[in-house]
Amino acid sequence: MTHTMQLTVNGESCRAVVEPRTLLVHLLRDQLGLTGTHVGCVVGECGACSVLVDGALVKSCLMLAVQADGCTVTTIEGLSTSASTPGLPGTPGTPGTLGTPAILHPVQEAFIRRFALQCGFCTPGFVMAAAALLARNPNPTEVEIRQQLASNLCMCTGYVQIVEAVQEAATRLREWQQSSR
Amino acid sequence: MAAEQQIGRSAPGKEAPRHVTGRGRFVDDLTLPRMLYAGVLRSPYGHARIGRVDAAKARALSGVRAVVTPEEIQRRLRPFKPGRYAAGLKVAVPEYAGAVGKVRYVGEPVAAVAAETRAMAEDALELIEVDYDALRAVVTIEAAADPGAPVLYDELGGNIAWRGHVAYGDVEAAFTSADRIVRDTLKIHRYSSTPLEPFACLAEWTLGKLTVWCNAQSPDVICDALSEALGLDQVRVIVPDVGGGFGQKIHLIRKYVVLTALLAVDTGRPVKWIEDRSEHMMAGGHSCEQEFDVEAAVRADGEVLGLTIRDTDDVGGSVSTLTIHFTNKLNNLFNVYKVQHLRLEGRSVVTNKCPVVPNRGIGKPGMCFVWERMMDRVAQELGLDPIQVRRRNLIEAGAFPYTAPNGNIYGSGEYEALLDKALAKVEYDTVRRQQQAERSSVARTLSGSRGEPDKARPTGTLLTGIGVVIGLEPGGRNAARDMAIFPESKQMPGAGGVEGATVKIERNGSVVFTLGSVSCGQSHETTAAQIIADVLGVGIDRVSMTGGFDSALSPWGVSSSNSGNNFHLYDVGAVHGAASRLRDKLLTLAAHVLQADRNTLAVDDGVVYDSTNSITFAELGRIAYSNQALLPPGFEPGLQATWYHSHPHADPLMLPDRQGRVRAQYTFSSAVHAAVVEVDVDTGRVRVLRYVIVSDNGTLINPSVVAGQIYGSAAHGISVALGEGFVYGDDGQLLTLTLLDYGKSTTLETPRIEIEHHPVPDPFTTLGQKAAGEGAAIPSPAAIAAAVEDALSPLGVKVRELPLSPERVWRLINGLTV
Repeated sequence: MTHTMQLTVNGESCRAVVEPRTLLVHLLRDQLGLTGTHVGCVVGECGACSVLVDGALVKSCLMLAVQADGCTVTTIEGLSTSASTPGLPGTPGTPGTLGTPAILHPVQEAFIRRFALQCGFCTPGFVMAAAALLARNPNPTEVEIRQQLASNLCMCTGYVQIVEAVQEAATRLREWQQSSR
Repeated sequence: MAAEQQIGRSAPGKEAPRHVTGRGRFVDDLTLPRMLYAGVLRSPYGHARIGRVDAAKARALSGVRAVVTPEEIQRRLRPFKPGRYAAGLKVAVPEYAGAVGKVRYVGEPVAAVAAETRAMAEDALELIEVDYDALRAVVTIEAAADPGAPVLYDELGGNIAWRGHVAYGDVEAAFTSADRIVRDTLKIHRYSSTPLEPFACLAEWTLGKLTVWCNAQSPDVICDALSEALGLDQVRVIVPDVGGGFGQKIHLIRKYVVLTALLAVDTGRPVKWIEDRSEHMMAGGHSCEQEFDVEAAVRADGEVLGLTIRDTDDVGGSVSTLTIHFTNKLNNLFNVYKVQHLRLEGRSVVTNKCPVVPNRGIGKPGMCFVWERMMDRVAQELGLDPIQVRRRNLIEAGAFPYTAPNGNIYGSGEYEALLDKALAKVEYDTVRRQQQAERSSVARTLSGSRGEPDKARPTGTLLTGIGVVIGLEPGGRNAARDMAIFPESKQMPGAGGVEGATVKIERNGSVVFTLGSVSCGQSHETTAAQIIADVLGVGIDRVSMTGGFDSALSPWGVSSSNSGNNFHLYDVGAVHGAASRLRDKLLTLAAHVLQADRNTLAVDDGVVYDSTNSITFAELGRIAYSNQALLPPGFEPGLQATWYHSHPHADPLMLPDRQGRVRAQYTFSSAVHAAVVEVDVDTGRVRVLRYVIVSDNGTLINPSVVAGQIYGSAAHGISVALGEGFVYGDDGQLLTLTLLDYGKSTTLETPRIEIEHHPVPDPFTTLGQKAAGEGAAIPSPAAIAAAVEDALSPLGVKVRELPLSPERVWRLINGLTV
């Protein structure tokens, strides 16, 4: 038995046929080719599969694909061009040539600048979680950052440079918002 | 404009843009036309004989294309040869890619399926019927060593699979002349760095040639495994982005590559296999549970004259990694101390638990734990200050290069300076003063409560403790090391190390390079690009890596393995060597084209020039690949150089001598770790208030990259010390199948680690660099143990065992059996 579903992913309308047991992460990766969303545990512990569903941070291994029928989904591939995504302040961006993002989200930029990644496997999930955090709370303390990002696991970095990156991204986002008023 | 000097600068990670945008390419991101998906059937028993296996229903299921059973595994595959990790194995014990005859740990692979979808493959696994004749599981070292215990391997005649020893100096004399013998029994538990990306493999069989994409750290292990098990030599191994390794992806992954390859051969179609998290926890490999009976011969002033250690390693349900946790102790056998007399006795026992594998430091965290716990113990028994006892025994700054009694040569080090800086940074004296004040205020509430957990005590009693330890981080593996314990081995595992790199200036003047090594997130591309930019004289933005490891294209050797802290020694040497040769070639060509004196030419920002003329890399590139008329006579066309690097100072003692002395590794970073903790006496919960590291990693090529390695390795060691670990039931069932049950620290438990670099260049390496990778995972368990023991010293608590989970700490506080 299969279901036919419709959803918007990174601004594009998609139609998909899925088994009822198909997880959202597998729909994104295997059917839509959005392999930036990673599978680290498939039981909701590691956060590598974090995406935004209707603006809310979701572990896409804990959601059935059919539950996202009619929803708007943003994955790591769409973050840098997701200014229109509800709930996300995101730096306005336009798709660059050959599908590469022209402007990175401040969290993405800060992760590069602050060495907040090593192997890169957890990174998309952390970037999504951090972006969602800053959308809710533009000026988090270190404790708040650590509390919010406890949803995600990184085995490489010891988290120090991730926390620093989120702090830097918060500063830049606030500056941008003030200057664009 | 002059190109900025790159070596020593925190150049932004070249790997980072693709990862932050979800454009990394891991094995699971790859698909091939008509690709099938594999699933692996695993043993539900810790110890059982395999009876009848019936796969008929699985084969009949729609979408299933191939099934491999234990009978086929035995008939069609050959066992792996015992490799260097099994040094000392004296009896042939055949080990196949899957279980044959018996299962020896929960999760051991028994059968495999390839089907049109992963879901179909998993459905099919449930239809394979296996009759198991369950045997009593042997789960502890004590049980394994019991003469009446069930035997895992009949060939061995018992569960003690290896005994051996190394001894240096005159241990007996040291103990005879000692003022005192200090004894203790110490234990380290089973854990893993649990890389976030589990094992992954994609195999394609085309007309007698096999191509494998996998996330293995050591390509030689995969090539050897496919050759040994399947008889295949036409093998191409490609390693794209790897989601963390830490040693976990060196060894056991070979079984799954072989099984996936077999399914690809059987179906004639590409087959992908992706391990899931619980499979990795059960069967991906664990670090080794180790028990140490230690005796230190000491003088009254705190000088340690000698040490004897009886080490028992629980290697789990395989003999293929029989002695790695023993032989890796040769790497930091004397730690940072000038002690001259030491005997290390080892025995390896097999148990019905997951086989042990290399894991960030392999054996060295245990060796450091022994030294640093004993330094504290010596101080306690002699009534001395633990810092002073360490100072008494440190190798002095003037003693380098220093040859340790087992042959290791430490190029440089300033251990006392590291200690001074760490004490200042952590404000040691202030912490001690605060501790004294705290203790006097809580002394009354604590008195008399030990051993009476029910006795009313004011809640919220917190005790502060500080632990200061010092540890070595060896780097650059010598392939001959394990011969020190197994000189009679018929097959030499290699010696020293070999690793290559290729650097090329393209026709358009851009620079590309290929490394021989696999990267698992250690910024190899960034670090190598910095070296190339400086050596060639070109902006780093013009330098890029061709891609990941490809056995058909990468210049690789025994040191290409992402293990043993190899990159800093072998890859840096290879990249520097290749870039230097390319610069040489570039200058020869430029001098000819410009009709200039080669010795007057300079290079900067991609331009070769002298006082009157200049020519760009792009102009030289066009000539080198297109215009024979402008090439110097005898000049090899093109602008490319490949260099294979061996450590030029690998001798003396590259090969073991008759006393068993050998250079286990070639460089020795060092660090002091100072941990300040707070222990909740009511709950046993430990909170890390401060964690300070002062580290000597030699010349820093990229300080932020090195810091990242230190942060990450320290965080893991702290998590190991504070509670993460594998737990087995008496029946051999693994109780920690998820990261949550296993207890991996999150952002909340991990402290904000503070680092100060104190680089002391190595006199023997290319740029003065030393290792940074395994690093802080080596001393950090000992630092936490010392700090917790210090906090609980008013209660007389001794920390001898990890992990210091709240339950264990609470039991220690209350004088209960741990």
